[in-house]
Order: sequence, then C-alpha cells, then structure tokens
Amino acid sequence: MHISVNKKTFSEAVHIVSRFAERRTTTLPALSSVLIIAGDDGIKMRATNLETGIDLKLEGKHSSDGVVAIPATLLQQIASSLNQEGEITLEHSGDIVSLNSGTGKSSIKTVSYDDFPSIPFPENPKNRIVLPGVLLKNLFTSIASCASVSTVRPELSSIYLSIEGGVLTAVATDSFRLAEKKVPLSNKGTQGKFLIPAKNALDIAQALPDDDIIMSFDEHQCAFVSTNGMLVSRLTNAVYPDYRQIIPKESIVEAVVLRKDLENALKRTTIFSDTFQKIRVSFDVKKNTLSFFARNADIGESTETLPARITGSSLELSFNHRYLSAVLALTNAESLSLTAAGIGRPLIIRGVGDTSLLYLVSPMNQ
Amino acid sequence: MDKGNPKELWEYILTQVELSISPANFNTWFRNSFIVKIGEDGVLYVGVPSQFFKDWYLKKFHTLLLKIVREISYEFRNIEYLIVKDEHRKAPKENKNTRGALELPLDEFYINKSDNLNPRYTFDTFVIGSFNNLAYSAAQAVLARPGITYNPLFIYGDTGRGKTHLIQAIGNHFKKQYPGRKVFYLTSEKFVVDYTDSVQAGTANRFKDKYRHYDLLIMDDVQFLSKKERSEEELFHLFNALHDTNKQIIFSSDRSPVAIPDIAERLKGRLASGMTVDISEPDSESRMAIVQKKAASHGVMLSDEVIEYIATSMSGSIRELEGMVNNIICHTQVKGSAPDIAEVRQSLRSFTRPQKNISVKNVVDKVADFYGIDEESIYEKTRRREVVRPRQVIMYILREDFSISYPTIGSKLGGRDHTTVIHSCEKIKREIAVDNDLAKEIQNIRTLLV
Repeated sequence: MHISVNKKTFSEAVHIVSRFAERRTTTLPALSSVLIIAGDDGIKMRATNLETGIDLKLEGKHSSDGVVAIPATLLQQIASSLNQEGEITLEHSGDIVSLNSGTGKSSIKTVSYDDFPSIPFPENPKNRIVLPGVLLKNLFTSIASCASVSTVRPELSSIYLSIEGGVLTAVATDSFRLAEKKVPLSNKGTQGKFLIPAKNALDIAQALPDDDIIMSFDEHQCAFVSTNGMLVSRLTNAVYPDYRQIIPKESIVEAVVLRKDLENALKRTTIFSDTFQKIRVSFDVKKNTLSFFARNADIGESTETLPARITGSSLELSFNHRYLSAVLALTNAESLSLTAAGIGRPLIIRGVGDTSLLYLVSPMNQ
Repeated sequence: MDKGNPKELWEYILTQVELSISPANFNTWFRNSFIVKIGEDGVLYVGVPSQFFKDWYLKKFHTLLLKIVREISYEFRNIEYLIVKDEHRKAPKENKNTRGALELPLDEFYINKSDNLNPRYTFDTFVIGSFNNLAYSAAQAVLARPGITYNPLFIYGDTGRGKTHLIQAIGNHFKKQYPGRKVFYLTSEKFVVDYTDSVQAGTANRFKDKYRHYDLLIMDDVQFLSKKERSEEELFHLFNALHDTNKQIIFSSDRSPVAIPDIAERLKGRLASGMTVDISEPDSESRMAIVQKKAASHGVMLSDEVIEYIATSMSGSIRELEGMVNNIICHTQVKGSAPDIAEVRQSLRSFTRPQKNISVKNVVDKVADFYGIDEESIYEKTRRREVVRPRQVIMYILREDFSISYPTIGSKLGGRDHTTVIHSCEKIKREIAVDNDLAKEIQNIRTLLV
C-alpha cells in the first residue's frame, strides 16, 4: 500500500475515527486500532468498538492497494503533532508502515488486521430518511445528557427516536426529568422507532457532517450514511416506557419568564442550594412574580424574585436545580413557560414560540 | 455433560473454542454470548449482543462452532445467531439465599404487652417426664378449676428446670380457655421495683388496685423478695385480696417456701398454703425428648446418636441444653446440614467449658482423689476392683473430654495396650446409660476438672 494524503485531512480524519476505537486495552488489539484501507473505493479509515463503528472516506492519492491496522492512540498522537502544511505518505511493507511527513520519517509496527471485524449495515433498507446532519447532531448533543447514566435500565440510558408523519421525535429521560424534542422531516413516508444508546449517540454526533445524511435502521442496528462515509451503532433492544402517560394534561398555574432572567436567577440561587441541590420555586399570582429560594445550613439562604406573567393560583414546588437549568441547553427561545399541575406533579417547561421542546421535571419532596 | 442443557452445552463449547482461538479473541467475542435454546429440529440458537457479533460469528466462528457441536452429537444440524434483548444479557443473579430461614428469628422474642406473657411458652412445647409430671398435673388441675383446687400453686426447682415455661404456659392456656378473664405475669423483682416507684411517686394506692383486678396472677422467682419487708407486706395484702376473691395465684421459686430465707413468716405460711410441687432434675429420657422437641421446633432433625450425646453430657439445667440445641440449629442453618456426632462433640466441649490442656497426671490425681485411692495404684498393673473402675473412668474422660488417642492413653497409664483402653471406654459408656450413680460420679469428676 502506498497512499498520500493532505496532512490536515489526515489528522481530522484520525481524530474523528479514533474516537470509535475501543479505549480499553484488554480486548482484541484490532479493536483499539484504526484500519486504513486503500482500494477501488479510494482511501478509507475504519474503527469500531463493537457498539459503534465508522467507515470514513479520505481525499487523497493512492498508487497501490493494501490494508493496515495501526493502534488508534498512536495514530492520534502522531496526527496531533503534525504541522498542517503539505502531504503525508504511508507506505506499507511487511508488518511495518513507514510514515513520511516531509520533514520526518517514522516506522510503525502494525496490528494484524485479520481480527478486525466487519462493520454491519442495517439489513432492511426500507427504513430510511434523509435529513441534515447538523440537525441530528444538535438533537443528539442537547438531549443525550437527559438520559440516565446508569446501565441498570438499558432503555433509560438510550435516546428514543420515533419517526411518524414527517416528524422525528427524540426523547430522553433518567426518570427524574424528561426531554422531548421534535424535528420536522422533508420526506413524510417513513415510519418507525428505535432506541439508540445515549453514549453511542454522542460519539456519532461528534462525527456527523453538517450536510444531508441518510439515516437507516432495522431492529438491531442503525446507520448514518453521508457522501464521505458511514457511521453505525448498535440499538438498544428494549421497550421504551410510554412516557406520554406521565405528562400532566391539566395545569393549575402557568408562569412565563424571560430566559435571561431565569438563567441569572438560577445561577445565583444555586450557590445557596443544599446537598440535595434543592431549590424552592414559588408561583405568586398576586405579585405576578416567580421566586426561587434556596437554603444551605452551612452557607445561608437566598431568594431571587423575577417578574413573570402568572396565570392560575399560587403554588410552591421544590426541584433539583440541575434539572431546572438543564432546560436552558435544550432551547433557544427568548422566553420560557413553566406549567405546574399541582404539588407532587411534574412541572412542564416549554419555550414560548418553540413547539419543538417539551421538558418535564419531577419535583422533590417539600 | 448434558447436551440437552443449554448452559452445560455452551460451557462445553466454550472450553473447546478457547483452545482454538486467542484469549483476546475469546474474551471479546464469547464473553457475552450464550445458548438461547436448542430447537427441536436440531438447530442451536446462540444469543449474541449485537449485529457486530452476529456478522462476525457468521464470518469467522460458524464453521468452528458447527464442528464442535457436530462432534458432540450429529443431532445438531445448524447454528443460528439471535441478537438478544438487552435485559437478557445481564448476568443471572446468584441465588444465594436459597435456604431462606437465615433471618434473625426476632419473632421469638415477642412479648404480649398487656399480660407480659411470652407466647412462645405453651404446653405444646412443654416436655413432660417423670421429673415434672406432678407439677404438670397440678397445673392442669389449676386450669380446670382456677382459684379453687390449688390456690396458690407454688412451683419450685433448681434454675433451668422449666418453671418459667410451665407457669407461663398456664397463663397462655388460661387466656385461651377463659377469653374474658385477665392474666398477668411478673417477676418478684418487677413487683418490688413497681412498688418502690409507686411509693416514690406517692401513688401507692393506685399500685394496690393495679394488681387486684387480675383473675390469674403469676409471680416468678419469689425468693428475690427476701429482705424486702415493705414489698413482702404489700404482697401479703395482695395475696389476701386475691385469695379471698378466689383468684388464682401462681408462684415459682428456686426453693420451697419454708426454705426461703428472710421472708416474713406470715407470707411464708401463705405461700405454702396451697399446693407446693417441686420439679426435680430431668432424667435422661426426658432430656432426650427435650432436645428432640426443641430441635424439631426449628425444623432440624438430629440423629438419635447426637440427641443421646447431648442429653447425657450436659449437666442439670434445661436452659443449657436449649443453648446447646440452639448452637446446633445455628450450625445447621449456616452449613446447611445437621452436624454429626463428631462435630457436636467438638462444639459441645467448647460450649460447656473452656478448652484447656490438662495433663494426664492432673486427671489421674483428681480421679484418684475423688475415689479416695492412691494415685500410684492407677499406674500399677493391679486388678483390684477399687482401682479398676477409677482407671476406666480416667480412660473414658481422657478420651471423651480431651480427645487423647487410645494408644497415648494406654502408654500414659502404665503402658497398657490400646485395645484395653478401647474396651474400658466402651464399658463406661455402656454403663453410664444404665447406671445413674456412675453418670453422676463422672459428672462430678468433670466439674472437678474444670
């Protein structure tokens, strides 16, 4: 094999691909390597940790075909040390790869690529939709943090994606709060739903290109195909809870506040929250204010009152402040609406004018 | 290996696979797989975690696995790979607590607040033998006509003979038999404390009334009233009040009323005015029955040998006997099986007295002293009867209590053959069973050796 690639392209590709290699060293060496292939399809890099996988095309010249597997961490270190000018050439003979970066030359021992697994592609090509990569990227990065970090319930550590009537709905919950985001799609024919592990979704989001991609899936696997490569992930094989049942249908009080006010108020009140990260939220109908109160026996206490448009009856609820501030990352709306259904019932937060988001926080005991 | 059992079959396959591929490969690809089911048509369904695995199995390991299963049996036609649900991939939880019953038996310590009676003490769990037959009959007579036949009923006997059990059983039975009537159980010590408290609080009048409305009053361990004159006087009045209204009173004590020191004569007379029964030391059959009943109530069946051993080697108190049985029950629950005679002997020894190394000479000294013979004669080759018996007893004790080997015992006691020692031990063991005096002697010697 003899290939020659622009250094910038090379290091970018390495950074994307090596994320998908297995990070634990105890397993198969091939899994913690990046496979570089030169063939009829051009130059490709591949990596997988058996949860997710990537197959990325690289722009470059190749004068002879071949396959090598190089430890991902090593390749990453080399790539980050390259200066961005000129070309890098890889030449392969025996189990040694010579890497020539213009000023220097290194020889790298390769890993046997026989053990490198094939990257599976979904079997049923019918379930496919086209959407901008940037959209999916934002969706995954914003919502993945709401999924559970524990692996005890695999369905809760996953993002639930459902495609119906031209709308893609993504849901993540860790059973204390729930985020639902909707994205319109251009083609309306496809229907389906699947669960992607939140960890995998984050990895994939990092590698997704901004332009249009094809998302396809079957029962066990999903793939994101773009012009310059393919990303795959295992799907969670479990049943997602019927989350719609827990969304309160009625409300007793609604507050509309400016996002900026809420952000500042939360930031200051949080300082005084106790070990349970508890802050009390009061809806005051008479004064038309929403106030936040936190008390820490060691530090002191603090109250923040912000002007709000309150409709309904006064109410006090306590929340974990982390779950409240998490909503700010999920929407860009200028003002937010907080709807409470009563003591002990979850609070709904929506962006005013932003119908895509629904955020549900379960209150703490008073 | 059972080829119909998916788990065993897969374990066997894994051992074969492990030989043919590298450890890294094995760990990566086979760690999380298992056989889902064995199809009736000879197809083996292997569960794998994801599509990656399925593809790789088909590509790399299919022929290998097929070869292995064909070697096991030609019944297996093919292998298919299934991607299993996430929940199923979790390692099956270990069933540690299969026996259950290891929870602390706190229920046993339940005491009824209103009458102070422990429901655990009933006649069902009471073992009747010649030693307590009279007391039991008296209790039954009291229950048949409370307050009339024997009033008061005074039961006495050494500690751990089952007095408390009997009187509480009367209380529990009385409660069942006469649901409307009130029972109260207390110890004399509680009575004294109550009285002093009420005197201090200035509510002595209320104290008087408190005990007078019971239909059956049971007072345990009255001997502790000695020297407490005010309490005695109060009890005297209470006694009169209850007795005059034909309310049944039951007392227990560790000695007969006349033998209780420093107690007012007028109370003494009243205590003895009804029926006075003593519970003597349980005979060995009764002790065996007690051990058996106690063990059975915990669901543990002990062999006759073990029961006999416990019953014969524990001294007087039934409480100690119960303690030993509890010990065995605990052992059974932890180990999962009832202990055999050797284990019982071991734990019994540590239970009864601290294990200590004792010289043969010391034992010989003590026994010779006990029988009043010259210790030198034990070592001599004499067959005088007054020497032979002590010598055999020494051998028996050395063997039973100190686990010294037969040959060692023989050589230490004047170079005797080990068969002689075995014979002696067997003989004493046989005789203990029939000869109560000998058993008592050995018991006494044992106490000397502690």
